[in-house]
Amino acid sequence: MKLLQKTSRIYLAASLATYLVVGIAFYWIIKFIIYDEVESRLMVEKQDFETYIRANDMWSSNSYFVENKIEAHPVFGKFKNEVVFTDTLIRNRYEESVDPFRQVSFYTLIGGTPYRVSIRKSMIESYKLIEAISATMITCLALLMIGMFFFQRRLSGQLWQPFYDSLSKIKNFDWTRNEKLSLTRSEITEFNELEDVMEKMASKMQHDYKSLREFTENASHEIQTPLALINARVEQFIQSKDLGENHTYWIEEIYHAARRMSRLNQGLLLLAKIENQQFTDQEEVDLSDLIKEKMKDFEDIVHHKNIRVDFKISGSFVQLMSQSLADILLSNLLNNAIKHNHTDGTITIEAGEQYLMISNSGSVLKGDPERLFERFKKESTGAESVGLGLAIVKQICDNYDLQIAYNNTDLMHTIRIFSAKL
Amino acid sequence: MFPISRAIFVRYLLERRMKILVVEDEKGLAESITDYLTKEGFICEVANTFWQADEKISLYRYDCTIVDLTLPDGEGFDIIQTLKKIAATTGIIIISARNTLEDKIRGLEIGSDDYMTKPFHLSELNARVKSLIRRRHFGGNNDMIWKEIRVQLAARKVFVHDKETLISRKEYDLLLYFLSNIDVALTKESIAEHLWGDHMDSSDSLDMVYSHIKNLRRKIVERGGKDYIQSIYGIGYKFTAP
Repeated sequence: MKLLQKTSRIYLAASLATYLVVGIAFYWIIKFIIYDEVESRLMVEKQDFETYIRANDMWSSNSYFVENKIEAHPVFGKFKNEVVFTDTLIRNRYEESVDPFRQVSFYTLIGGTPYRVSIRKSMIESYKLIEAISATMITCLALLMIGMFFFQRRLSGQLWQPFYDSLSKIKNFDWTRNEKLSLTRSEITEFNELEDVMEKMASKMQHDYKSLREFTENASHEIQTPLALINARVEQFIQSKDLGENHTYWIEEIYHAARRMSRLNQGLLLLAKIENQQFTDQEEVDLSDLIKEKMKDFEDIVHHKNIRVDFKISGSFVQLMSQSLADILLSNLLNNAIKHNHTDGTITIEAGEQYLMISNSGSVLKGDPERLFERFKKESTGAESVGLGLAIVKQICDNYDLQIAYNNTDLMHTIRIFSAKL
Repeated sequence: MFPISRAIFVRYLLERRMKILVVEDEKGLAESITDYLTKEGFICEVANTFWQADEKISLYRYDCTIVDLTLPDGEGFDIIQTLKKIAATTGIIIISARNTLEDKIRGLEIGSDDYMTKPFHLSELNARVKSLIRRRHFGGNNDMIWKEIRVQLAARKVFVHDKETLISRKEYDLLLYFLSNIDVALTKESIAEHLWGDHMDSSDSLDMVYSHIKNLRRKIVERGGKDYIQSIYGIGYKFTAP
């Protein structure tokens, strides 16, 4: 939920609740005031009535006038010294309606006989007054609240604008590039502080990223150069005419170890670069096309091992990615399919809309299939293999949100790459 | 300036041996390269720093310059740019530990002829230097002749005792690699890498080297040539007069 939506909702709920409470309270307060007023007037009339009775000791009731009517009924034995206010409804003589009245009832002695006396007053006008006041007040309140609501919405929209501007800039910020993050200043101190912090963090990130990148490059350089020296020295050494069998064996071991180390270094460096997302160039690569192209690089070895290659290309698998990573991805997969294949084996390459499958015949997988894509997990213990090929494949897939799965049936091993969007 | 360049010019005319400048800060590696190339008949000079290299290229002319990109006091790219301005005909081979596509593209854009990633094989470097010089000086139109074997470079044809031998593309590459490294022990790995690049790391490629060598040997012998390919146990092969 957006911040503005959230504040609007809270504001709306709170103002509705306030509105209801204020409305109800208002109604009751007005009602109380009017009742109080009517009752005090009734009490004045009761006093008038009692004064009149004391002076004349008699009451002739005239029940024709409904308004301000005073009724006296004789009561027998039920004399109670109490004053009771009640609401009552009396049928209107001229209209088909009943009108509300407030009446006060009390007991008194007229000419020695106990009477129950009721004095009543019409409430029609008072009710109209309550309604009119309440309606006006409620309308005013409602208008005020709606006005406040829209005002507040606009205001917070404007207040938060710099925040949203900065947010979109931060979203588009790419620390692998050299552009600095620069956010626009606003009047609000908190936002400015936030922007300062963000800018500092961004430049730190760029700096760290750059030094990491430089470090990996330098590390590679520093390691590859001595390796080149070992290689060169070995090559010079093997030129000597009088090499014994022992010497040959040792020198071969040194040579192989140096080559392996170099491959290992290159593989790890590549992995680090992919992880750090240093391959930022992007273009649409059709993997179905590219794999046919890549297979040509392996023609000799496929021919040599007499492997049958079947292509089942039914559509194009277009992926937005770095061209060099696409090359590495497919090379590694094909290399893997050939390396773990046997003479007279088969490779089936299937590709279609958003998927690519490479199956190869081979021996039973000894390790855990789940861990196939981990680093340094290798099937053969051959000195030439460093066990990074599939880890690199996995890392490239991860970078571009591609799914990768391995399964095998009998002696066919299949690696499937597919777009996660489907 | 004038007397020096005049002297160089005269020396260049008198001596037909090709001159190579090696710009490499790692002294051991520079020494290995120069030793190897000197044995192959080149005249080699070494520059260990950017400024040494800068001085040398402004004073002398070389047929080929081998440049390391990362030098302690400068960038190899700058040397190449200067070199291109002073002597456009010099062949340039970059040797670098940096393996990025950007560096390779940039190297080619500013006019280098080749890019090799460290660690490399000296035999491969040697083959590339020779191929580069052949291209520079003869436009690739000359023949490579060794004893009874003649290779027509432009047509990619091989003759033994002037009879054409049909050999496959890889066998041709292999033969050329041998002819560029006569009397040199070549490792199986360097041959495999020369033929298929370094994207193939499987031991199958070593088997393939073996079978290609077997075929090449057979085809040369069939046409009446001698078997010049000598196996070196545990290491590789050597192309040499028996």
